[in-house]
Amino acid sequence: MNNNAFLHFLTLLLFKQKGKHIGAVLISVIIIFLLSSVLFISSSLQSMLLGTLESQSDFTVSRVQAGKAINTPSAWMDKVLEINGISQVAPRIYGRYFFAPREESFLLVGVDLFDEQSSKELRSLVKGLDLKSFLSTDSMLVGEGVKTFLSEHYYKEYFSFKTPQGSFKKVKIHQALPSGTNLIANDMIIMPIELAREIFGLGEDEVTDITFNVPNDAEWDNIIGKLHLLFYDVRVVEKREIVKAYENLYNYKGGLFLILYLVAMVTFMLILYQRYSMVYSTERKEIGILRAVGWSIKDILKLKFYETAVVVLVSFVLGVILAYLYVFIWDAPLLSQIFLGGANLPNHVSFVPVLEFGLLGSIFLFYAIPFLAAVLIPAWKIAVTPPKEAML
Amino acid sequence: MISVENVSKIFNEGTPQAFEALKSIDLELAKGETMILMGVSGSGKSTLLSLIAALDKPSSGKIVVEGELISKLPDLHASAYRAKSIGFIFQHFNLLEALSVEENVIAPLINSGLDIKTIKEMAAESMQNAAISHKASQQVKELSGGEKQRCAIARALVHEPKLIICDEPTANLDRENSLKFIEILQSLHQRGKTIIVATHDPLFEALTFVDKVVHMEDGNIVGADSISAHN
Amino acid sequence: MNEILLSNEVIVYLLSETVLYFLLFIAFLATIGLLKRWNFDAFTTEQFALENRSYLVMTIIFFVMMLKVVLLPYFVYTIDNLSDLIPGAMCGAGVVKANEYGNPLLALKIIILFLSALWLSMNSIDLKEKNYPYLKLKSWFFVLIFFLLSTEYLLDILYFTHIETTNPVSCCSVIFGQTGGANGLPFGLDIPKLLILFYLLFALVVLTTVSELAVMSIIASLLFGVIAYYAVVYFFGTYIYELPTHLCPFCMLQDHYFYVGYLLWGLLLLGLFLSIDAAIMQSFFKQPAKSLKRISLLLLSLFVLLCSAYVAVYYLKNGVLL
Repeated sequence: MNNNAFLHFLTLLLFKQKGKHIGAVLISVIIIFLLSSVLFISSSLQSMLLGTLESQSDFTVSRVQAGKAINTPSAWMDKVLEINGISQVAPRIYGRYFFAPREESFLLVGVDLFDEQSSKELRSLVKGLDLKSFLSTDSMLVGEGVKTFLSEHYYKEYFSFKTPQGSFKKVKIHQALPSGTNLIANDMIIMPIELAREIFGLGEDEVTDITFNVPNDAEWDNIIGKLHLLFYDVRVVEKREIVKAYENLYNYKGGLFLILYLVAMVTFMLILYQRYSMVYSTERKEIGILRAVGWSIKDILKLKFYETAVVVLVSFVLGVILAYLYVFIWDAPLLSQIFLGGANLPNHVSFVPVLEFGLLGSIFLFYAIPFLAAVLIPAWKIAVTPPKEAML
Repeated sequence: MISVENVSKIFNEGTPQAFEALKSIDLELAKGETMILMGVSGSGKSTLLSLIAALDKPSSGKIVVEGELISKLPDLHASAYRAKSIGFIFQHFNLLEALSVEENVIAPLINSGLDIKTIKEMAAESMQNAAISHKASQQVKELSGGEKQRCAIARALVHEPKLIICDEPTANLDRENSLKFIEILQSLHQRGKTIIVATHDPLFEALTFVDKVVHMEDGNIVGADSISAHN
Repeated sequence: MNEILLSNEVIVYLLSETVLYFLLFIAFLATIGLLKRWNFDAFTTEQFALENRSYLVMTIIFFVMMLKVVLLPYFVYTIDNLSDLIPGAMCGAGVVKANEYGNPLLALKIIILFLSALWLSMNSIDLKEKNYPYLKLKSWFFVLIFFLLSTEYLLDILYFTHIETTNPVSCCSVIFGQTGGANGLPFGLDIPKLLILFYLLFALVVLTTVSELAVMSIIASLLFGVIAYYAVVYFFGTYIYELPTHLCPFCMLQDHYFYVGYLLWGLLLLGLFLSIDAAIMQSFFKQPAKSLKRISLLLLSLFVLLCSAYVAVYYLKNGVLL
């Protein structure tokens, strides 16, 4: 069977009758554009998060009392170190600092910079960080959101923290964290652990929690058991739980959107059904003529199927390209707030392009199957036009 | 070649608007013969043509063309029969207005399995024969009546059908173009084609190359003259 | 609402299945009409309308069949993706086992694809004849397929609404692994016997197909399908994973193995479908099915070559077998 002639004729008809399809293409492009934008954002956020979380420690332990986290004694570190299979144990001070005048808060993280591992992590996070000058005075690294917020309040170089004792602690803003980490570090401040201890008013031998790694995944459950044997008042947070929580969060947002979008899809199908019933009814004469000169029902169905397939593919490609530009080149104005909204400080995120074959496939199925299904019955109705129609 | 036996066609069967367009028609036509169906409009000529060309199906009776029973063919076969054996020239030309002359002429061959090059060669030859080559790439809607007629002829003959069926071919033509059309018919007759023309144009009444003239009235055949003496 | 139902892939999958089921339902109603009132000898307007309606049925079935071919791998992909959400699951194997509906659903999907392919072959020979000789037969056949499709749709919904994200499931090494040295192979086979059987049955499929022994060819194809499944899981798979203890039909669908599983299982299933289809066409409908046979043999040969190539490449690279 030679399809060459058929394709030739198909292109002819499509080009001569583009007007008929423009409406359907337009609606489809809008539908696909919205759909892919949202899914691109959610999958990009997911992969950015995973990338950022990768460098974090596998476990975080802290002491609890009455179910609430309280300060953890530094002495716990030595006990933790004794468990086999654990590496890179580090103390951490981690908490929210409230900026009273505006009721905003920052996430304050104190890191032990004399610990080799922590300082290495920090240096890989902030390329070209000069540790010597950073440590020479009381200084801190701030997330972009914090930096913007502070400079709006005229803290250009220094910021004075208020300690629980009522004294002020002046800390130099050394540098901003790279914008690639905005997703979780937007409202974050990183400083040496002693400084954080002073600002939060913790005792000399107290930290908020202790972090460590367990290189062998299979040992994870064992380690948790051992920790609970060591301390009766301990809470253990695993990195994989955090990863999963974040993943679920963005999956939810994407999924909820899809469910809401189902309504739009049903409307879309109805519009298409109407539109194509109308378009095809104007073609009755034309199809009758083709039938009269020897085209079978099958041939007409084939013609309609290919016509629709071209419309579907063209709109899909257009919609996806537009969404790609919108999300990854223009950083999705408006829509990104749905995903990032609710955060403490205004956040600006540049999305890292992530294009998965599976995601594109999902978008395609979500759109193409309803489209083709909506057109199928009008197409059949026109294909069975009796050839006698040509004589009328 | 063609035998029509006891064929009736009732439209809107079983409803109050039922209308019997053909009443037990019998008709025979041998290969290579030319037949004129005369009668006023509404006499059933067009309906009979549509049944012979398998554009429609009879309500009862048998139509056999070249040994094949075409009154009861499934769509795939009916279409193949139309595509292979029938060249139909319609009263209103029935061209695809959005396309050019050449594109109209290739339409019957699209599903033939031939490649586009061969199809275009066949179309060129057919347009040559119908004297419309010079307008090949012109849009159909810009053509005059006579040119449309020639385009329709080129399309009807592009696949070299054995049976040529014309429904009121000169109804929309002036006298000059009608005479030209009759010349073309004559040359087709000389090439051995079987031809059926339904018309009420008096120009067709005294043609020398016609083998049969059949008069129809109210869905019945009221008279048939065989004019075989001329051949 | 459960978090499985909020996963993008599950929503897309269930929407697609719902739309297709809706179309199939229309086709089913039309088919019932055909079965009740079809009379080819009648010249009535109604009969002509029924002939047109039979085109609606075949269009829908053709369309749905095409999409089901796409949706089967998509279903597997969805399951594979869910393994991130379900504790304990490392790949699709655990997710399929997450409730009692998973395995029957997967099996039903494959059976339905095969039956629909058979329906389409039957339809095309029916259209070639001048009096629709198989219309009643193919309509009844579709009614049967429709009941299977309804079961499939029901299972789809039951399956996805009954996956627990809190109960841990087993990972593939537990499901397929030889725990405590137990042999997972059926019929008391061991690996060498399995391999001999694998290549012998392949040869038998080729021979029976070429020599037109239709019934034998069907039996050989079915047996080859079963043995090929075990051979891939228990032998060839280990070379794909390059790990003698990794026995799993699902992990090879993941990106670390370049999604080779889709190709491998696709070749096997399609090859078997076509070979059985060709045999049935030939023996029951007396239709020559040369091109079907040629394609099916090509696909099956590619499957066997691909499997063997993994072993050969491993041997060439490492100089030993696993």
